[in-house]
Amino acid sequence: MADFLLDLAANPRARKMVTTLGLPLPMPQNLERAPGPWQERPLHDRDVVVGGAGELTGVLADILTTAGANPYVDGDLGPWEGPGQAWGRPAKAASEAPKRSWSLVFDATRISSPEELRALYDFFHPRIKAIARSGRLVVLGRPHKGLPVAAAAAQRALEGFVRSCGRETGRGGATANLVLVDEGAEDRLEPVLRFLLSPRSAYVSGQPIHVGKRVKATKVRTLRPLEGKVALVTGAARGIGEAIAHTLAREGAKVIVLDRPDDAALGADVARSVGGSFLGCDVTDSDAPERIAAYIQEHHGKVDVVVHNAGVTRDKTLGRMKPELWDLTMNVNLCAVMGITDALQPLLGKQARIVCLSSIAGIAGNVGQTNYSASKAGVIGFVEALAPKMARKGIAVNAVAPGFIETRLTDAIPVATREVARRLSNLGQGGLPVDIAEVITFLSSPGAHGLSGQTLRVCGGSFVGA
Amino acid sequence: MPRAVIVGGARTPFVRAFAEFTTMDTIALGEAAVRGLLEKTGVPWDAIDGVVWGGVILPPTAPNVAREIVLDIGLPKAAEARTVTRACASGLQAITDAVAAIERGDAEVMIAGGSDSTSNAPVTMPQSLVHKVAPVALSRKSGPLDYVKAIGSLSPRKDLLPRQPQIAERTTGEVMGEAAERMAERNGVTRDEQDAFAVLSHHRAAAAIQSGRFADEVVPVDTPEGKRVYSDTIVRGDTSVEKLAKLRPAFAKGGTVTAGNASTLTDGAAAVLIMTEEKAKELGMKPLAAFKSWSYVGVDPADQLLIGPAIAMPKALARAGLELSDIDVVDMHEAFASQVLCVRKAMASDAFCQERLGRNAVGTIDDDKLNVHGGSVAIGHPFGATGARMVLTMANELATTDAKTALLGICAAGGLGAGAVMEAV
Repeated sequence: MADFLLDLAANPRARKMVTTLGLPLPMPQNLERAPGPWQERPLHDRDVVVGGAGELTGVLADILTTAGANPYVDGDLGPWEGPGQAWGRPAKAASEAPKRSWSLVFDATRISSPEELRALYDFFHPRIKAIARSGRLVVLGRPHKGLPVAAAAAQRALEGFVRSCGRETGRGGATANLVLVDEGAEDRLEPVLRFLLSPRSAYVSGQPIHVGKRVKATKVRTLRPLEGKVALVTGAARGIGEAIAHTLAREGAKVIVLDRPDDAALGADVARSVGGSFLGCDVTDSDAPERIAAYIQEHHGKVDVVVHNAGVTRDKTLGRMKPELWDLTMNVNLCAVMGITDALQPLLGKQARIVCLSSIAGIAGNVGQTNYSASKAGVIGFVEALAPKMARKGIAVNAVAPGFIETRLTDAIPVATREVARRLSNLGQGGLPVDIAEVITFLSSPGAHGLSGQTLRVCGGSFVGA
Repeated sequence: MPRAVIVGGARTPFVRAFAEFTTMDTIALGEAAVRGLLEKTGVPWDAIDGVVWGGVILPPTAPNVAREIVLDIGLPKAAEARTVTRACASGLQAITDAVAAIERGDAEVMIAGGSDSTSNAPVTMPQSLVHKVAPVALSRKSGPLDYVKAIGSLSPRKDLLPRQPQIAERTTGEVMGEAAERMAERNGVTRDEQDAFAVLSHHRAAAAIQSGRFADEVVPVDTPEGKRVYSDTIVRGDTSVEKLAKLRPAFAKGGTVTAGNASTLTDGAAAVLIMTEEKAKELGMKPLAAFKSWSYVGVDPADQLLIGPAIAMPKALARAGLELSDIDVVDMHEAFASQVLCVRKAMASDAFCQERLGRNAVGTIDDDKLNVHGGSVAIGHPFGATGARMVLTMANELATTDAKTALLGICAAGGLGAGAVMEAV
């Protein structure tokens, strides 16, 4: 279903008319999305204003110049000189920055008391209005747990600040996110920032992302990160699963497209277009885990990326819900995920990545979705518990919680409800399957070794959920 | 393995496009240079095993320029011929190909060089015209009505307006001058530095002409119009920083690249004679220089299009087992003064060399070692000929002065870079 308001807003005349007439219509901004595969310089020629001069300055200078950004720095230019020379990206003073810059990055790692938070105000206050359409606001901090009281308060304050910034900038398509970097995990920040500052993270907003060193470090690749990797995507015949199959294959993965045998025709089409193979299998069959493992053993000998995308909704308020609906939802969304993960354990390659699909409903709850919300919240618990067990082998386990995404599922929602749901986020519009797929592709890449046990919301900064 | 040595060469004067050489195409220019080489060196014609030629704007009807030169001059038909293209590094490419062929034992004596005639860049019709008309014209079944239909389907603007040739990157659409402009900004190279460098290039080239240094290399060319061109016509010995400072930026408002500190569209050709050391002894010819190493690299054209030599030159040095301090003369192609200065700055930067080459700074190229007889800004830049001109000038420099080693660097379209080390023999 086309988004009427998005189309309307894309027409400059209509946009102007709506705003001059003061009509009570939101005018969401068409989001910029990355056109092709991962690039050597995802931030090529984009202007990034950097403030804060925290403990990550040196790392930031390297990351931004290698990614091709033009840095404008509020503070000492010294640490930027070398990286600037190496990559032909000399840093300039922030005062010289162009009127609209793609991105505002603030390194708040040194902030250790509430008083010092004023630096955030001083940096963002004059600039936040000038952030580009579909631009990026990123604050870097430290996890507050274990810090002295004042520092913990100050660091935890960053999250509230960023969430509100996301709300304020969202109408222009810009996003705001917080990255919390563990002491000693600085070298794992680069892939996260390359992703977060690029148009690839179009529908991620208002999120805290934790970069840690729990998982064994791996060699990071910027181009074709999944070359030589085997990926299993369940429920990949259509919708978000299909988009995931496409983006994983685009980055070099051999994709096994798994879906129900009833959808063999669709699934085989997807498999052909991504140069992968189709595996017809109902994940709720009791022998499904062994069959999948046997298939992978026979054809590939290993699997590096497992995306548990298959999921169903069987909505009914709890009092009217038949037990079959509860069972089916729980079986597909949670039990199968656990069963298949278990069966695939011996086949997981070094530095494998497991990504599960949770849902915003699993975080916030929803009328008529007790079964669905329970299963999707269960996924969050599963990921949190499994991650530390797999970390030693270099395996990262994460979940993605989509918000309102334009798919067959959401098309079935009654018009009025859908219209409201679409607008209930910072960006004022639904996300696209590709937005989820890009996040999952990032989480599937070697560069995601800083993230494990996390549930990353891809909801455009939804107003519901914590 | 036999060693290939350069024993001589010749080039035409380099002339601004649409001037004296307008009616001479790249084949005619190449022929003039090779004829000059044959006369100057006196090499027996039947000793020549083949010709390798570099060119960028190749004539659509005869893209193997090398073979046309062989046939036009009347060299033995047994002399094989091939034409290579690697944008502005094509001339050097032709020579290193010939050296490789000789050292591999595929040939004993080869002529290698390059030419380009910007004056004869083909102006092409849009491909959509071909796609619409050719099926009708090529089909036997086409009747008059089909022709009328085909003609009726043509849009005057989209299908009939000829395509203007220009030096723009195919992938990015960026004109090369814009790339030079952006590089200057990225590396902090000022307008004054560029102008000063350009003036030095002109003064040195003018001195080389006046002192007769270029007389060893440049052969006069008789044009079809009956005019005789004796020497390079673009060099301005009387130019000054004050004069160049008056020029307006050519590619960007408030920019730094002007017509005065960039190379201009040029017609010309250059060729060198290469053979094994034994063959040179046998023919009684004096070797001038040999190649120690070379390196060709690629960088992202969307980033710093012309920075390639900053990577290729150090790689060639490493292959030769030398450091920059071991080098006596450096010859860099001056597509733009900005580009040469950016490459020089990059090679002198620890940060750049550590990130891009995994080593400490290569070093600063001294002014008195760099382009001692001027470069492309002053002399001109016929794309395919420039590499051969540089090899010829450096070979003579190594043979006639105390210099023992020479380093060459060329940037080329598509983000390519070339580097080579030559040594005295």
